[in-house]
Amino acid sequence: MRILLVEDEEKVARFIVRGLEAERYAVDAARDGVSGLRFATTYDYDLILLDLLLPGMSGTEVLRGLRRVNASVPVLVLTARDALTDKVENFEAGADDYLTKPFAFAELLVRVKALLRRGAVNRASSLRVGDLELDRLSQTVKRAGRRVELTSKEYALLEYLMTNAGRVLSRTMIVEHVWDQSFDGATNIVDVYVRHLRHKVDDPHEQKLIRTVRGVGYSISDGTDE
Amino acid sequence: MNTRSIRFRLTVWYAGLLAALLALFGISVYFGLARYLEWSLKESLAMQAQQIAVSHLADVRLTGEDYVIGEIREHYAPEINSRLVRVTRADGSLMYVSGAPQDGSFDPTGLPVPTIPDEAQTREVHLPQGDGEVLLYTMPFTARDGSRFIVETGAPYDAIESVLHGLLLTLALGLPVIVVLSIGGGYFVMRRALEPVDALTRSAERITSRNLNERLPIVPTGDELERLSVALNSMVARLDAAFTHIRRFSADASHELRTPLTVLRGELEGIVQEPHLTTEMREMIGSALEETERLSKIVESLLVISRLDAGEARMERARFDLAELTATTVEQLRLLAEDKNITLVGDTQGTVEVEGDRARLKQVVVNLVDNAIKYTPAGGRVEVRVKREDAHALLEVKDTGAGIPKEALLHIFERFYRVDMARSRAVGGTGLGLAIVKSICAAHGGQVKVESTENKGSRFEVQLPAAGVDNRLAQAQGESQPTGYANSAQETVEAGITKNARQSVAATGEKL
Repeated sequence: MRILLVEDEEKVARFIVRGLEAERYAVDAARDGVSGLRFATTYDYDLILLDLLLPGMSGTEVLRGLRRVNASVPVLVLTARDALTDKVENFEAGADDYLTKPFAFAELLVRVKALLRRGAVNRASSLRVGDLELDRLSQTVKRAGRRVELTSKEYALLEYLMTNAGRVLSRTMIVEHVWDQSFDGATNIVDVYVRHLRHKVDDPHEQKLIRTVRGVGYSISDGTDE
Repeated sequence: MNTRSIRFRLTVWYAGLLAALLALFGISVYFGLARYLEWSLKESLAMQAQQIAVSHLADVRLTGEDYVIGEIREHYAPEINSRLVRVTRADGSLMYVSGAPQDGSFDPTGLPVPTIPDEAQTREVHLPQGDGEVLLYTMPFTARDGSRFIVETGAPYDAIESVLHGLLLTLALGLPVIVVLSIGGGYFVMRRALEPVDALTRSAERITSRNLNERLPIVPTGDELERLSVALNSMVARLDAAFTHIRRFSADASHELRTPLTVLRGELEGIVQEPHLTTEMREMIGSALEETERLSKIVESLLVISRLDAGEARMERARFDLAELTATTVEQLRLLAEDKNITLVGDTQGTVEVEGDRARLKQVVVNLVDNAIKYTPAGGRVEVRVKREDAHALLEVKDTGAGIPKEALLHIFERFYRVDMARSRAVGGTGLGLAIVKSICAAHGGQVKVESTENKGSRFEVQLPAAGVDNRLAQAQGESQPTGYANSAQETVEAGITKNARQSVAATGEKL
C-alpha cells in the first residue's frame, strides 16, 4: 500500500511518515501544494493525506486539480482549521474524510485503514479477542463461554474496542464513536464506562483484556497480536 | 408614556410656555379693552354733551327752552338709548332731565344737583335702581346770551361690562382649548421630527457583533441626524475592523497552536509505542500526553467560544424538542451519577420546542449536568427540569452540592475561572465548560443564570426563546423580566454579571 503525504510542516510530516512506516505502509512526502499535485497525478497511490494550508497552492486547490484527473483515490484532509465551512468546501472538492489537528495518531491510523478498505469494513458477524466473544447478530457477549450482560452503551463501547482490537483508541475517538461530540469535553464518561465494562468483562477473570495506555486511551487485546 | 423622552419634555415645555403667554395675552387684552371701552364711552358722552350745548342750547334765548328740550328728545332719545341727559340752569333748577331708560337700569331723578364746575369733568355716580353704576359727563356751558348751564350726559357701565364678560368667557373657554390643541399638535410635530431618531435607534439596535458589516441607512437631509448616522456608521466600521482583527487572530492562533500540539502529541505517541520503555518512563510520557490532550481541548474550547461570541460559528437552525433532548442526554449521563451514588432526576414532561443548534444545546445540557454531578458529593441529588414559561424554554439544573461562594458567583461564567483551585484540579476539566454554556446560550438569544447557597447547592437556569414566538419579543422580555427567585440568602447572577449591570450585559454581550 502506497500513501502520499502532502504536508508542509516538517515535524508533523516526520512523525506521520514514521508512524505509517511502522505500520508497513510505503509513504512519499511532498512539502508543498505544487509538488504534491505533481506526485499525486504522476504516481499511483492508494491513499493521499492532504494538509490544507500549504505554500504555493492550497490543499483545496490540490484536491480540485487531482479530482480532474483521478476521481477514485481516497483523500484524507488534515487541517489546523476546523471551520465547518472549510469542511463542507473540501468535501465538495472531493475529500473522503477530514481530520482536525491535533489528532491522535491512532485516530489517523483508524481512518487511513477505513479509507483503504473502502467499504470492506470489518463487519464480521462475530468478533473475538482471547476468550471474549461478541456476536453482532444477537448482540450478546460471552467470556469463557459464559454470557456477560451489558447495557447498550457498554455493548457499543466493547464492540468499538473489539473492532479495533490491538489498537489504542483515544477517548475522543471513543466518545465520537459511541456517544457524540457533545460529551467530548470535561466529562469522564468514557473512563466510567470502561470501568464498568472492566468490572463485567475482566474482573472475574485472570487474564485482563482491556488495557489503559496512559495519555493515549484504551485498547483491547489478548496480548498475542501485538 | 415615557415622561423622560425628549418628545414629552419638549411638548410639556412648549405647552407650558404657550399657556403662560396666552394667559398674559388674555390679561392684556382684557384690561386693554376695558380701558378702551371706557375711554370711548367718555368720548361719546363728551361729544353728546357738546353737541347738545353747541347745537341746541347756544341759542336758547331765541328758540325757547321747550324747543331745546324737544330737540334733545328727538335727536338723542335718551330713554331708548339708555342714556342720561340733564340740563341744569345756573341757579340749580332743572331745565331738562331724561326719564328712566326702558330697561330700568338707573333712575335719573335721584341724581343730586351739581354745582357749576370750572371745567368739564367725568365721574362715576351711583344711581338707585338696578345696579346702576353710571358714568357721568358734566360740562359747564355759557349760551350766547350769557346764561349759564350745566349739561350732563351719562351712560351705564353695563354695556362695557357685558362686553368684558363676554371677552372673559371667550378667553376662559378658548385658551385651554388652544393649549390642549397645541399640546396635541406639538406632540404630533415632535413625533414627526423625532421619527428619524427612532428609526436610527431601531437600525442601530439591529447591528450586533454578528452583523457588523451592516450599516445604518443615511438619509441625505444635511441635518443633525445625518451627521449622527454618519458618525455612528464610522463607529460601527471601527468596531467591525476590530472584530475582524480578533477573528483573524483566532484563526491564526488556531493554526499556530494546533500545529505544535500535533507535533507534540505525535512525537509522544511515537515514544509510547517503544517496547523498551521502563514503567516510570511510560508514566511520564503518559502524563505529558494527558496534558497535551488537555491543552488541545483548551485551545479547541477557546476557539469555539471566540467563534460563538464573534457570531462566526456556523450554527444549525432546526426546530426540536428540548425536553426530549434533555431526557435522552440525562439518560446517557445517568451512569456518571450512579457511579458517584447521586440520584439524577429528570423532569422533562411535555414538549418544549426551541429553535437552534441541537448539538450545541446538547452540549449545554451535558456541561451543566456533568458539572452538577462533579460538584455534588456522594448521596446527593441532581434534578434536571425542562419547562416552558411564557415565551421561554427553561432548562433548570439543580444540585445539592457544595454550592458556590457569593464572591465567586460573579465570575463563574468567565473563562478559566476556578472557584476552588484544588477541587477543580481534582475533577479535571478545562475551566471553560460554563463559558461555553454562556456563549452557546447567547448565540441562541438566550441566557444562563445561577443562584447558589453555600453548602446547600446550586441552581443553573438556561432561558432560551421558545420556538414559534417572536424571538425579539422574547429577548426583550427576557431583558426586562425581574428575577423572581433572588432573595437575601441567595445571590443571583446572570451570565456572570450582576443584575444591576444587566443593561450593560445586553449592551456588551449581546449587542456588541
